[in-house]
Amino acid sequence: MADQEYFQAIADAVVDGDTEQAVDAVLAALNAGLDPLQILNVGLMSGAEEVGQRFERGEYFLPELMMTGRALKAAMEIVKPALLEKYSDGDSQVKGRVVAATVQTDIHDIGKNIVASMMTAAGFEVTDMGVDVPIKSIIDKAEEIGAQIISLSALLTTSMPFMKDLIDLLVARGIRSKYVVLVGGASVTEDWARAIGADGTARNAAEAVKLARTKMNA
Amino acid sequence: MLNYLEILDRANTGPYLTEENWDLEKVAMTTKRLVRKYKLEWNPNEIVTDDPALSEAIWKAGYELAVTLGAYSRSTERIIEISQDEIDNGIRTAPQAVVMGEGKDARTLYARHLDDERAPLFFGGSPGTPIPERIFQANVMSYMQEPLIDLATCGTLVEVDGREVRTGNPIEIVSTRRELQYMRQGLKRVGRAGMGMLAAQSSVSELGDLAAAHPDYLRPCDSHLVPVLNELKMDHRNISRAVNSLEYGMVNASLACVIVGGLGGGPAGSAVVNVASYLIANITCLADYHILHPIHVRHIATSTRDVLWVINATGQAFARHAPHIIVADIYPKSGAGTKELLYETAANAIVNAVSGSHLEGVGAADGNAPNCSGLEARLMAEVALATHRMKMSRKDANAFVLQLLPKYEHVFTQDGNPGQSFDQVYDTVKVKPLDFWQKMYEEVKTELQEMGLKL
Repeated sequence: MADQEYFQAIADAVVDGDTEQAVDAVLAALNAGLDPLQILNVGLMSGAEEVGQRFERGEYFLPELMMTGRALKAAMEIVKPALLEKYSDGDSQVKGRVVAATVQTDIHDIGKNIVASMMTAAGFEVTDMGVDVPIKSIIDKAEEIGAQIISLSALLTTSMPFMKDLIDLLVARGIRSKYVVLVGGASVTEDWARAIGADGTARNAAEAVKLARTKMNA
Repeated sequence: MLNYLEILDRANTGPYLTEENWDLEKVAMTTKRLVRKYKLEWNPNEIVTDDPALSEAIWKAGYELAVTLGAYSRSTERIIEISQDEIDNGIRTAPQAVVMGEGKDARTLYARHLDDERAPLFFGGSPGTPIPERIFQANVMSYMQEPLIDLATCGTLVEVDGREVRTGNPIEIVSTRRELQYMRQGLKRVGRAGMGMLAAQSSVSELGDLAAAHPDYLRPCDSHLVPVLNELKMDHRNISRAVNSLEYGMVNASLACVIVGGLGGGPAGSAVVNVASYLIANITCLADYHILHPIHVRHIATSTRDVLWVINATGQAFARHAPHIIVADIYPKSGAGTKELLYETAANAIVNAVSGSHLEGVGAADGNAPNCSGLEARLMAEVALATHRMKMSRKDANAFVLQLLPKYEHVFTQDGNPGQSFDQVYDTVKVKPLDFWQKMYEEVKTELQEMGLKL
């Protein structure tokens, strides 16, 4: 079996959102002695990118994104130790650690779920805290896992002020510079994001991923 | 009738399931299976369908979904099990007529049948749209004063006395009561003090809603929202709204904003989830009527082809098989001061009118900015009434909507089309449309007449 066939099998499993198949395909590739970095970039990520494109084209919907997120998470559990073993900086192959949450008092999760799924698909390690999450808990979790990005969502106009409160709390605790804070939601604009001191916002999930990549490379 | 305390018991004792598994294993997978089982498909060139077999299949699939899954309590991470008998009883006892408002301004919302001889009713307002306090009074009056508007709704106050409103904060109580003060005052000023309302829109958590249940604010003849969360979920905060109205007696409007492209998948699955949501809401929300407001996963608006189809499919499924009182929200992409807003409104109004719904709107500019006015609500009502008077067939309605779509679909591929704020399209003192906005409305109206609509 040629290397490309192993990578294709991994990508296909990701596109199908088939966790079992993705794990089997990754194990097969590792057993065949393939480079774990290539398994990540050529297999898993190319499949994830295809899923993202299909979602943007309206061919895939939220369940497919979530299934892909599940498959990737399971596959990464296997790839990560191999990466760490082969590369001393294996941990850095993860593009960044993200804490994602819909802020306190807001219970809307679809936008946050899509962004979290697409970020996972793009290679970020995402801790999704769910909805209606107190800002103190979000910061505590970011500190606990050593996140680089805090990704906040709010659909409700009257919940958006809590994003500003979180940034103010980061400043008050003297840890603002440790984090890239991204904000999103139907009513969030670039002007508003700038005004509250956030590091950026995006109009959709694909742009959010691009923004996160840009910020991590900055 | 199921004792409502039983619902609370079930939320506390039902089978445990993680929310992610409810979303994926239950809602998404079951819906996908039902879409395959009933061979449900949608056609982007047939926005308004006239296919009894398709409608029956959507109804059956939605019914099966509700019976199979029941509801989910996000607060306790438990399934609220609902039996088939209870679903059936909810259908049998769904209100067929609800009187809203009082005195000469009272209106009877009724369960519309397909091709109902009775005209639809109209809620005027931009529901849930953030509106600054300085223009709130004039904004709501711009709808209330429209003669064709039967019932009033409104946006959300985002500040009171210069202070930012935060959900769940004590200021939410102040903002919701202030909203109701403006609403009641507005109704008096336009001479329609008894008009019924769907209000307390500034109550995003339960706080404001509970604080407004008083005859000075929301009267028992008014209605408030009891949401179903995406998808088929409830939580204690929202259940509190239903519980609070048990004794006070407000009219409960269930709100299920099914995401088209969300857990139900494409339009067919989303329609199935929407049908199931109402069958669940009959019980969990104690719904007297239902707001039909599917949301596009990327574009938000109700005027995209796929969302229009879902509105058509859900409305018809009920109108043909088990009429419930359904009020369809109109949430266009475009904002006030643009012709596209008027085309989007017209397309939505036609679809709603021939699919068994009453109408509510217009939540212009995706309900994201105060770029809304009573003028587009006037057009909403005029177009729906013309459609009704002409006894427009669903086939003709489809042809009409297909002519309108090319006039506005470009707004979905550009960076929105938000238009202008209310105070830039209306004289806020006289509460009159500015000349350019009035002229734009008249031009579009003429265009619609030339297309064959007898306005």
